[in-house]
Amino acid sequence: MTFLLYSLAVLTGAVFLMALTARFRRISGNIFLFSLVMASVLGLFSAISVLVSRAPVDYHLNFRMPLGEFFIGLDSLSAFFLLAITVLFFLAGIYGYAYLKDDHKRNLSVHFVFYHLLFISLILVVAAKNAVVFLMAWEMMTISSYFLITFYHEQKSVRDAGYLYLIAAHAGTFCLWVMFLLMGQHAGSLNFDQMSMSAFPDTLTGLLFVLGVIGFGVKAGFIPLHIWLPHAHPAAPSHVSAVLSGVMIKMGIYGLMRLILIIKIFPEWCAVLLLLIGIISGVGGVLYALGQHEIKKLLAYHSIENIGIIALGMGIGLWGQLYHNEFVALIGYAGALLHVFNHAIFKGLLFLSAGSVIRSTHTGEIDRLGGLLKYLPWTGHLFLIGAISICGLPLFNGFVSEWLVFRALFEGMFHFKMNAIVFSGAGIIALALIGGLAAACFTKAFGAIFLGNSRSIDNSHLKENPWEMCAPMAVLAGICVWVGLFPFTMVSFALGAASSIYPIKTSPIAAGTIISPLLMVVVVLLILIMAIAVLTLLKRISMKFLAIEKSLTWGCGYSHPTNRMQYTASSFADSILRIFRTVMGYSVAKGSSHVVEVCEEFIFRPVFQVIKFLSAKLKIIQCGYTQWYLLYIFVFLLFLLIWKMV
Amino acid sequence: MVFTVYFCFPSVFVNLEDGLDKMGIPVLLHLGVVLVLSPLLLGIIGKTKACLTGRIGAPLLQPYYDIGKLFRKGNVYSTTTTWIFQAAPIVCLAAVLVSSLLMPLGGLKAPIVFWGDILLFAGLYGLARFAMVLAALDTGSSFEGMGASREATFSCLTEVVLFLDFIILSCVSKKIVLSEMVQGNALTSWHLAGPALILMGVSYFLVLLAENARIPVDDPATHLELTMVHEVMVLDHSGWDLAYILYGSAIKLFVLGSLLVNILIPSYHLSPFMQTMMFSGGMFVLSFGIGVVESCMARLRLNRIPQLLIGAFVLALVGVLVVLLKGA
Repeated sequence: MTFLLYSLAVLTGAVFLMALTARFRRISGNIFLFSLVMASVLGLFSAISVLVSRAPVDYHLNFRMPLGEFFIGLDSLSAFFLLAITVLFFLAGIYGYAYLKDDHKRNLSVHFVFYHLLFISLILVVAAKNAVVFLMAWEMMTISSYFLITFYHEQKSVRDAGYLYLIAAHAGTFCLWVMFLLMGQHAGSLNFDQMSMSAFPDTLTGLLFVLGVIGFGVKAGFIPLHIWLPHAHPAAPSHVSAVLSGVMIKMGIYGLMRLILIIKIFPEWCAVLLLLIGIISGVGGVLYALGQHEIKKLLAYHSIENIGIIALGMGIGLWGQLYHNEFVALIGYAGALLHVFNHAIFKGLLFLSAGSVIRSTHTGEIDRLGGLLKYLPWTGHLFLIGAISICGLPLFNGFVSEWLVFRALFEGMFHFKMNAIVFSGAGIIALALIGGLAAACFTKAFGAIFLGNSRSIDNSHLKENPWEMCAPMAVLAGICVWVGLFPFTMVSFALGAASSIYPIKTSPIAAGTIISPLLMVVVVLLILIMAIAVLTLLKRISMKFLAIEKSLTWGCGYSHPTNRMQYTASSFADSILRIFRTVMGYSVAKGSSHVVEVCEEFIFRPVFQVIKFLSAKLKIIQCGYTQWYLLYIFVFLLFLLIWKMV
Repeated sequence: MVFTVYFCFPSVFVNLEDGLDKMGIPVLLHLGVVLVLSPLLLGIIGKTKACLTGRIGAPLLQPYYDIGKLFRKGNVYSTTTTWIFQAAPIVCLAAVLVSSLLMPLGGLKAPIVFWGDILLFAGLYGLARFAMVLAALDTGSSFEGMGASREATFSCLTEVVLFLDFIILSCVSKKIVLSEMVQGNALTSWHLAGPALILMGVSYFLVLLAENARIPVDDPATHLELTMVHEVMVLDHSGWDLAYILYGSAIKLFVLGSLLVNILIPSYHLSPFMQTMMFSGGMFVLSFGIGVVESCMARLRLNRIPQLLIGAFVLALVGVLVVLLKGA
């Protein structure tokens, strides 16, 4: 715990120092890097020590706040999220420093200050043990991330995206306030520990769960509450997108898990709701991603897809918890948690490498790029590792967590009653479809950006970005491979965190039955690697004796192919989108395809238009005379007085 | 940290060491059988087609000659391509080869059996497909991009049908282990879940045809690039690369076909010799059946193929419902 407090102290000190030295670029930059490294290492230590010892630690500050006390602590669940936060913030921060180094127009120390503030607020969100501390940290997270998103504020689209984010986030926070106040009123305290000791009546738990799903779901990006996400992520600088998508939206997941931990017993439809959200967000997210032509927007939709997979794991875990099936609950939660970590790693990697592409070519339009693998080798190969990981293919980390979610769903089919079987089956189908579509989407993205020839940009002058940018990406890719081939450490951490949501003793036998199949997976993968090595060797040797020629790509008889004749990303995705065209409003006009964001266009836009219309009507009370406003205050006070008397 | 895990779950590591000692020879034997026998299926299919259309046809061992010939040829590489173009056939062949280790072949038990191996089975095919699609895009040719796009589209649908079939099998056998699913209690389950198994068999047969580029989904002998699916993706491959790809697709047909044979012919109670005989007979009938389908059908129009696969999806879905209603 002391490590975590030192880490917070370092960050806070750095915020003040950077604010003071804002005029001196060099100094504030060095302070940023130094404090980032210090704080991350300290945070990492505290997270790992809690995960290994599995002993929660608490810290009270002798400082009374309105409505509660300053009470923070780490249990396995918080520590697991803290692990993802520190790793990604550390690497994205170093990348961001190099990414912005050549930007001489802007005051970078302001940006760095908000980066640190976001770091502090995320640590506080996962460490908070009191609802007031939690909500304050939550609010600080929203505001600091708003300033990070609007870094390029001179563009109108960026300002709009930031504004949309701010509205959406505050609408969600409103639900959270109501939820926590209801919980506090019932439990008699706003401390999480006291809350978890009191039993909530059935009617209230349903309401609390819905409020939680809306409030946390806005942040997490559940469809249909996701509309801010595809606007905000592309608007931000890439390292900020990585952090937002990698860990900030996961705070919604953390909140839901904390809610489940506190309340424990829900009506059954809550699990159905989570599974449905998982299916819709997962499939919807990846379908929308297929329809995007801008790399960061595509990645943003993939965050929604992965949040869907996490929600599937949580839903089946919750169902297991309600049926008192500890095994299913444990695997479901562990799968969801491990996917949280894995997604932070590979999505961070993908956003950073997308940023590297954009920094080199000054565009993120997939259909203008091509053939970059030869010019940006580091970026390209690291993007490839991220792409295979996110598709959940074996050898990399995405497979391990999706495997756990699959396992929970299959076990659910065996142990549950009819209705649960139907939903577990639907979950399996959805997960299989997500896998196939994600593979299509990332072959499209990687193929169009890095393979073939450039479609309209001159590649010849491009050169790889500095090593300060490539090194963080390489570390993230290393973690992808490490978790993919040696999953035991992270799986046992995830199991530990999962058993803190649903307090059971993880017996070594249960943990063994979860981990030993994964070990066999690793054995098969090692055989696969050996097979690849043998086949490569055979080919290499024989190539020495055979003729090898270089020539143009065969054009099926056409002798003057040009680069513009290549298959584009839009046409690649067309055949899939046509199958789903009615669900997602897909249309092709004037040679370019377009996908309608159904939730935005048909749900939120009309609602906001009605709100705008009604609030315009309210303008008549705003006349501009101070006397009138005083009168309003007086009338309102009178009203309150009468209310009190009656 | 690994040490912590070691101390927490030492049993896991002990099991692994036991397993690895016994694993080596069965693995090599299995791989050998698959490598030797798989091109034979293509030969039988070709011979069947020739007989039904009144020709003598190529010899039964023609696929072996074709692959052997390619192994003696040099390569032509496009200047556009990167290492991915050359690595993809290797990854593809290795993945389908390793996937055969999870599949029992007649009297030959699967050398590697563990909970949830079907997920790895599907994952390995996903990896192979991912590599081939990237290799097609690597050439920068519009034809190959077109083939890659079609492959990605159809595989999304086939993967879903495949998992539905797995759900049926796991509901019937209450297992999620490939070997136990296909042989666990297939004979007894035929009485209980016969209709579901038949529905599963039909939908899986359609998946098999689609995954292996057979008529009516794709015509392996077509000569028009615009209508091809799998063939057009490998237009630029030559020599060893093409040999690996052809070999890989032969093994894929063999492994996916043996799953169907294993399910439909419940032979687990027989002696290993009889099991092998039943299995070989089943494989022969399967390749004969594919040959018959290819002889009496034309290739479907491209925009009809999703409908065919969605038809397979519906069949499998009905199968799941049947299983669930019986089970409840």
